[in-house]
Amino acid sequence: MAIQILRDLRGLRVHVVHPPDSERTSLVEHLRRIGCMVETQWPVPDCWSEGADVVLLAIEHDVRGEIQRLLKSDGGHRPTLIAVVSYEDPSTLQLVLEAGAVAVIERPIRPFGLLTNLTIARSLWLERREADKKMRKLERKLAGIQRIQKAKSILMDGQGLNEADAYESIRRQAMAKRLSMDDMAAAIIHANELLQYRPKDD
Amino acid sequence: MAGSDKAAMALIEDNSGNWRVGVLFSQTGVTSGIERTQLNATLLAIEEINASGGVLGRPIEPVMYDPASDPKKFRAFAERLFQVDRIRLLFACYMSSTRKAVLPVVEAHRGLLFYPTLYEGFEYSRHCIYTGAAPNQNSMQLAKFLLSAYGNRFLFVGSNYIYPYESNRVMGDFVSQDKGKVLDELYIPLYPQDKDFERVIARIKKTSPDVIFSTVVGSGTSTLYRAYRAAGFDPTRMPIASLTTSEAEVAEMGAEAAEGHITAAPFFETLSSPTARRFVAAFKEKYGADAPVTAGAEASYFQLHLAMRAVAKCGSDDPEQVLANLRDSEFDAPQGRVRIDPENNHTYLWPRIARLDRNGRFQTVWNPGVRVKPDPYCVVQRLDDWSVDDLQLLHP
Repeated sequence: MAIQILRDLRGLRVHVVHPPDSERTSLVEHLRRIGCMVETQWPVPDCWSEGADVVLLAIEHDVRGEIQRLLKSDGGHRPTLIAVVSYEDPSTLQLVLEAGAVAVIERPIRPFGLLTNLTIARSLWLERREADKKMRKLERKLAGIQRIQKAKSILMDGQGLNEADAYESIRRQAMAKRLSMDDMAAAIIHANELLQYRPKDD
Repeated sequence: MAGSDKAAMALIEDNSGNWRVGVLFSQTGVTSGIERTQLNATLLAIEEINASGGVLGRPIEPVMYDPASDPKKFRAFAERLFQVDRIRLLFACYMSSTRKAVLPVVEAHRGLLFYPTLYEGFEYSRHCIYTGAAPNQNSMQLAKFLLSAYGNRFLFVGSNYIYPYESNRVMGDFVSQDKGKVLDELYIPLYPQDKDFERVIARIKKTSPDVIFSTVVGSGTSTLYRAYRAAGFDPTRMPIASLTTSEAEVAEMGAEAAEGHITAAPFFETLSSPTARRFVAAFKEKYGADAPVTAGAEASYFQLHLAMRAVAKCGSDDPEQVLANLRDSEFDAPQGRVRIDPENNHTYLWPRIARLDRNGRFQTVWNPGVRVKPDPYCVVQRLDDWSVDDLQLLHP
């Protein structure tokens, strides 16, 4: 993975959200020197740009409100975020953490460290994305297992089957109706709810 | 010594001329009111030393510019002072943004910055001596006083930059430790307009706090206090409490607007110790009876004396040698005996709290008589910290 991240740095689309000054100019120069495709933006935009792999965000206290608005505008897909900070006090660090920055660049900005921070940030962001994907997959799987379990106990209670036969029944019915086992289990649960319903229960 | 060697030596070290030092305080711009007092105090200290023979027989020569409250200008003049004017010791700065602009220049030239202003902490540089209050040397003391004397419903008003955000974080934490409430947190631009103050006054009317904690700095301070007065609020029940409002801002707003409000600082013009009186008298003799003598001025004054005493001891203004001589340095400053803490380059200071009387003069209402060690990296302070109680005297 490591070497791929380094290879991918060339052509990486980096958005630099930073006040227009000489520091931004030399920052952009060096990012291009590394091989990134750089765009600049200021003031702080309302939402994340679609075309950015990495965003370098200047954490400036006088635009705190705009930064917080940007952070709330989560479009579901957030690019890799690197914070640029002028101070290390807790109120600044709170903003940095809330922003979800995976790397930090301190002022005065100098060339050394940009490549390292880009690499580490990208790596952490990819790791997190993989972990999120895996977690969602496991959650889905867990929910599925719970549904099958519930459907089995409905059949075991309702038809006096043992566990193995209940499972087999679900499997056979699913195949016959060309449904997945999970869908079949959901149908059994749903049907059971409908059949259990008594008007006087309301 | 051969001719070329001699010339080379002359270039490297001028042993016979003046001690040239850099001085950068704004004489114009939004924070010039307070910075002018810091400039004046620096020049007063220099004059005092020169009047008694200078340092090792050579006079101190201040080299100064007006950065006009602009961080970019601070940076540019700092570069000029080090590169062109060849100074090595720099006495400068009020706002944190200007210190942040200047410090990299000082570090790049291996100089030494003396910074005489209260700030938000969480900084250290080998190349800086911090002689103003860190948050543990003013915020907690003020919080304890306000919570016990007025109540625990606070409204925060500050200028829109780093110092107020961090100060509000600290003060907000104290308020919740006391199970109080921060009713609102308002920020106005560093260069405010009337409508910004209208909004603040409206919020004060709506929320009715026990205390208004103000971290407004610069010329906006007097506008705020005047707006408060015009709205007819009562400072005995709902004071404006500040870490930054000084004699300079009071001079701008007038006694009527100032009366009843509270400030926490290590020094006030009205302190009664002999050293304090001597300093204030000398300041007013040079700059006029109405010249405000602020905590920032007092820090500027004692830091210059401390620095040049170190130069005298080591015979050089080489920052490395000066630094070595400053370690654990103690000095009888107007506020009391101060000491440089070698662990963090900050200063042991004497926190006090004062209320403005009807003549616009600060009268001390709380003077614990305790010298507090600086703790610039303290994230959370506990209200029940012993060092704030009225007991301990300075131990030798």
